[in-house]
Parts: sequence; structure tokens; C-alpha cells
Amino acid sequence: MKSTRTTHRLAACVAVASVALVAGCSTSGSSSSSSASAGSGKGTISIWAHSGQPGENAALEAAVAGFNKSHPTIHANLRLISADTYTTTVTNTPKSQLPDVLEMDGPTVGAFAYNAKLAPLKQFVSASVVSNATAGAIAEGTSNNTLYALPMYDSALGLYANKKMLDAAGVKYPTSTADAWTPAEFLKALQVLAKANKSGKSLDIDESSLNQEWGTYGFSPVIQSAGGNLIQNGKATGVLNSAASIKAMTEFASWKPYVDPNADGNAFQDGRVALSWSGHWEYPVYSKAIGASNLLDLPLPNFGTGSKTGAGSWTWGIGAATKDGSAAGQFLDYLLDDQNVTAMTNADGAPPATKTAFAADKLYQPGGGLALWGQNLQHTCPASAITSTCVAIYRPVTAGYPTITSNFATALAAIFNGADPKTALTNAAKAIDQNFSDNNGYQQ
Amino acid sequence: MTTLMTADGNPRSTKRRSQRRPDTWAGIGMSFPALLGLVLFIAIPFVYAIIFSLQNIQVSQAHPAKFWGLTEYVRLFTNPIDSGPFLRAMLNNFVFAAVVIPVQTGLALALAVLLNRKLKGVKIYRTFFFMPVVFPMALVAVIWRLILDRSSQGLLNSALNAVTFGHVQPHDWLGSSSTALASVILLSIWQGVGFQMIIVLAGLQEIPQERYEAASLDRAGAWQQFIHITVPGIRNTLIFVVLLTTILSFRVYDQVYILINTAGANQNATQTMLFQATNAVFNENDLGQASAISVILFVIVVIITVVQRAVLRQRNES
Repeated sequence: MKSTRTTHRLAACVAVASVALVAGCSTSGSSSSSSASAGSGKGTISIWAHSGQPGENAALEAAVAGFNKSHPTIHANLRLISADTYTTTVTNTPKSQLPDVLEMDGPTVGAFAYNAKLAPLKQFVSASVVSNATAGAIAEGTSNNTLYALPMYDSALGLYANKKMLDAAGVKYPTSTADAWTPAEFLKALQVLAKANKSGKSLDIDESSLNQEWGTYGFSPVIQSAGGNLIQNGKATGVLNSAASIKAMTEFASWKPYVDPNADGNAFQDGRVALSWSGHWEYPVYSKAIGASNLLDLPLPNFGTGSKTGAGSWTWGIGAATKDGSAAGQFLDYLLDDQNVTAMTNADGAPPATKTAFAADKLYQPGGGLALWGQNLQHTCPASAITSTCVAIYRPVTAGYPTITSNFATALAAIFNGADPKTALTNAAKAIDQNFSDNNGYQQ
Repeated sequence: MTTLMTADGNPRSTKRRSQRRPDTWAGIGMSFPALLGLVLFIAIPFVYAIIFSLQNIQVSQAHPAKFWGLTEYVRLFTNPIDSGPFLRAMLNNFVFAAVVIPVQTGLALALAVLLNRKLKGVKIYRTFFFMPVVFPMALVAVIWRLILDRSSQGLLNSALNAVTFGHVQPHDWLGSSSTALASVILLSIWQGVGFQMIIVLAGLQEIPQERYEAASLDRAGAWQQFIHITVPGIRNTLIFVVLLTTILSFRVYDQVYILINTAGANQNATQTMLFQATNAVFNENDLGQASAISVILFVIVVIITVVQRAVLRQRNES
């Protein structure tokens, strides 16, 4: 009897504990003010990062080791978390349990800042590091006029082309962004190239990932180039489903007959297609497969208001509850210096996100393999302020981004599979607007 | 059944009955770990799901959750923004169940009867049919992604093209709204049928051989033997298989998730309620909607299970 009573009590305890755990997970942090403190500038700091390509992980581990060696009073402890679950992990971790320094995907900065998981960066990071960040890096990490994150590298998006196949088919291609294909010219090129190829296909767009972040990153520039947008002044209806957006998405759907499904991921390397709508991360693979001199980097088509492209990648911030903000700041100062940024971008081929390292990167400078895309990254703007002169657009910085990307990417994949563009985009816009109004427009 | 009967026939059982109290406590003690697991991982989270479904609540939000009653439920059934995808997902679930339950059970029965004979190398056949069950659904989905590939190099497309001498053009099996769900159903049956087959096979081997011998003496044909001996003999097994298949076919998720996210399958035509719930919470941080969908799914499964059990039990008694 006594033992069972004890077990009952134990059960009650466990039950209460688990309730507390669930409650703790679901409503973490009630205030939006940061409780970060500078601390002594000594001791152990924890760092979370996504586990990327082997080269990226090695570069990051080397940077952490180098930091520990050059800063004997601080010990940085790196934890790599699978990229697939990284954002979910950070989202579901209460801010008191977040590390001192954490990496995050660019478009999630808005949500983490809104949910008070990040400390404003300028109080801990040197002014020289902030001033050396590219304009795009600042746009990506700024939420409500406060800087929360700074990246090591950016990303570049465009069309890769196989020069020999284009020349053999007699297809003329643009050599500058101003000169980008119109949708009609692009469709014509697709048709001619498909006819000239025994595969009958001419384009790879990584179609099986359209309903994921790739869809929003890779194809929101299409509607932005047409004059539409994902969201404008907190409202998607009227921009996401504007006539221009619908027309651009209708054109996008018309490419399907020429798109290789690319189940094996080798469509461009094997010459099954002459064009690939992709990002900088394919450069090492593509240039090796078809030869760097045969690989062209072209601008995305111009759907009306000038060719636009995507940008933004993983970025770094400081946890809102850190007790060692000063040490965390010193780590970011070290991580974002030219040596570490260059080591990282050499490993993954990404465009550096600091002014000095970008200027020194031959790949993105005139004469380099991705010179045109590098040029595009000099003309950046946030999605909230698109101008006619900017080319590279950073995804919207808002706490409602998860809803925006989920709905747009789902609509994009549905349109590619034959759904009516007007219906799909209008439903997505309504769903986004409903989520924003449920959350009071994500006002702070 | 058999264990119960031997326990009743056991002379010790009366003695045990007189010592009921310690016996009860031992029972509670022994079931305690399992009950604790049920309460911790099923009951408490489910109560929370009900509470969350009545709130405007997001994962990890800084602002307090607001109680808004049945709004999520009303939206899921009446607001076109939410009800469009949700009702489609529910329809997909029902179509999936309506096809998979009879076809998979029937196929499992047919396979089990075929493999219950004393053939040479029958164990090899059994292993072959059981093998897909051992493969993880993730692997099965990836294999079928290649089979159903929309290009002319896809296994199914190139096979059809070869068999019809080029008269059948490549079809987008997973992308087209008319064939996407059928493709998912096909691969699910292929993967799942072996498991039901093994259960039915075990049931078949319980049937005493003498009944078949007696039936042959009475000149009953193979079909008559099947209808009057085999089916009644594995009646309880079949009921169990149907119940199991029903529940499994309502929580279908893995293959749908993988085919939509890695193979570009038509999301509207293939998504299920469970897919929608996970999508709501993991992609859109919408804990309230995900909870509401889970509660509805739970209610549907409970209703169907109760109805099925009632119907099947009545027949048993008559």
C-alpha cells in the first residue's frame, strides 16, 4: 500500500512536470524586451549552427578553434544541428534555453526578433564589423529598425547556361542584367533549346522542391519583376494576386513542357537541359561538369519592371537571454573577419557578406565565373521597398514570414501542377491576410 | 481465448479469486508503466490539444494566447480559406480508406491463401511478399518516386511506352490531380499488404486440417471450402485486420509527406489531415489550427472504430 501511494504521488509529480513542460514550451517569454547582459567578457559561450555541407562545417569548426586559441579567457562551444530541423528547433526552444550565439536562416530573423529571442546586435558587436557588412546583409538582419543579425555570406540566384548548347542551337543570350530576356524571348529560347536536344527538355528548376523555401526564394523574384510582391504594407491581397503577378505565374506554368523533372539531380551536368534556374551553390558542381569557360551566369527574365533576383542566406545573432553578451560579441567580431569569411565562402562558393571580403572574391568580381550575379548583389533592396534600380531582393523581414512562404510556395507548386494561377494566388493571399489579422498584423 | 479457458479450468483459479485484493494491486502495479506512458504521452498531450484548439495560439509566441472558442473548428468547416484545403484533405483520407481497406484486406487474404499451401520454396515467396513491409516508408516512397517519374525515362512511363509500342505518352502520375491519389494508394497497398498477409496467414494455420478433410469427404469444392471453412475460421483475424487497416489508413502521412516535399506530388490531391496538421504547426507555427485538426481526426477515427466494432460484433452474435 505504501509503495503504491508513493507511485501515485510520483505519477502526479511527473504529470504536473510534463504539464509545466508543455506550458513552458508553448508560451515562452511573455515580454518582448531583451534580457541580455554583457557579462564579464570571460567564460564559456554556447553556439548553435546548422549542419551544412562538409566544407562549411569544417570552416566553422576551424573558426571556433581559432577563436578559442586567440581568446584564452573565453571558451566557445559549438553545436551543429541538422539543417532540416534547425529552424523548428530554435522556434521551439524557450528563449532562456537558447545559446549565446546562434545561426538562423535570413527570413526567420523577423519571427525570432518579434518573439524576443534575439538581442539587438549593436550593443555587443564592434562598429567596424557593422560598417563592413554589405547593404544587403544589413537589410536582411534588420527588423523594426533594429539590427539583430549579421551574415558571413549571402546567396546569388540566376540562370546557368551551357554556352556550347546555346551557340549550337543559335540562341542569343543576354550579357547584362539590363538586357535580360523578356518572358516571350525566354519561352522561345526554351522551345528552340528543347527541340535541339534529344532529351526534348531545356530547363531545370528543381521542380520537386517548389513547395518549400526554394519556391519562395527562387520564384518570388518572378512576381516582383512583374510588379507584384509577396506582401506590401502588411497585406498580400492586391499584390500577391495582382494582375501582374497572375500573368507572371501563368508564364511560369507555361514552361512545364520544357522542364526536366530531374529526379536524379544531374539534368544540367549531363546535358539533358541547357538552362538551370538555380543558385551559387551549384557553381562548383556545374563548372566542374561542363567546364568553367562553358558555364554562363545569366540574369533571370525581366517580367516587366526589370530583372529581379533573390538573395539572403544564413545569418548570425545573439540570444536574447545571454549572460555573456560581450564574449558573444567578440566571437561574432572574430567570425565575421575577412579570414574566416573567406575560408567559409571558399568552402561553399557563396558570395561573401562583408564589403572587404566581397571585393576580394574573384568569383564575383568582373572576369569571375559569377561576375554578373556579383554585380546584381551590388543593387539590393528589402522586399518592403523595391525600386526600379534594385535587382537582388531580400525576403520580407516579418514575424509572419512562415505563413507567407508556406502559402506562396504551396500555390507555386500547385500552379506548376496545373492549378489556375488566379485562384491559387488569391487563396494564398487571403490565407496570409487572415493569419496577419489573427496576429494583429505582427505589430510589436 | 484459449489462454482464458485454461486459466478457468485451472484448479488454482478459485484460490486466486479469494486473494483478489493483492492480485488487483499486482495488476495495477504491472500495468502501471504502460498506463503512465499512456497518460504522459497520449492523454495529457491530447487534453492540451483540445485546450490549444480553442485558442488563437502560435508556437513560441511572445504575446499571450487568446481564447477564441470554436473559431478554429468553424473556420475549418465553413471559411473557404481554411475549409477548402481541409475538406479536400478529409475527402482524400476517406477515399484512401475506402479503397485501401477492402482492396488491401482482400489482397492480403488472397495472398495468404495462396501462400498457405505446401509448395516447394513457399517460404521464399512469403519472404518476397513480406519484404516491402520491412522497408521503411521513406525508402518505399523514394523508390516509387522513380517509378512514377513524369519524364519519358520514368520506369512506369517507359514501360507503358514500350508495351504499347509508343502509343502511350508520358504521364505526370504524381503531379496530375487525377492520378496523384491513385498513385499514393497503389504504393501504400504494395507496401502494407505483406503485413496483413502475415496476420491472415497465422489465422489460416490455426484452422484444423480435419475440417478440410471432412469437407472433401463431403465432396465440397475448393470455393465451398473457402467460403464455409476458411472465412469463418479466420473471422476474428479478418476483423482485426480491417480495424487495423482502417486506423492506419486514417493516419497516413509518411508517403504523402515525402512525395509532396521531394517528388512534387500534387499537394491538393494527395494531402491528408495529418499532413495538414503537421504543415500548420511546423511550417506556419499555427498551433491552434494543428490542434483542431488533430482533435477532428481523433473524433473521426473513434467514431469509425466504434461503428465498425458494433457492426462486426452484432454479426458475430447472430
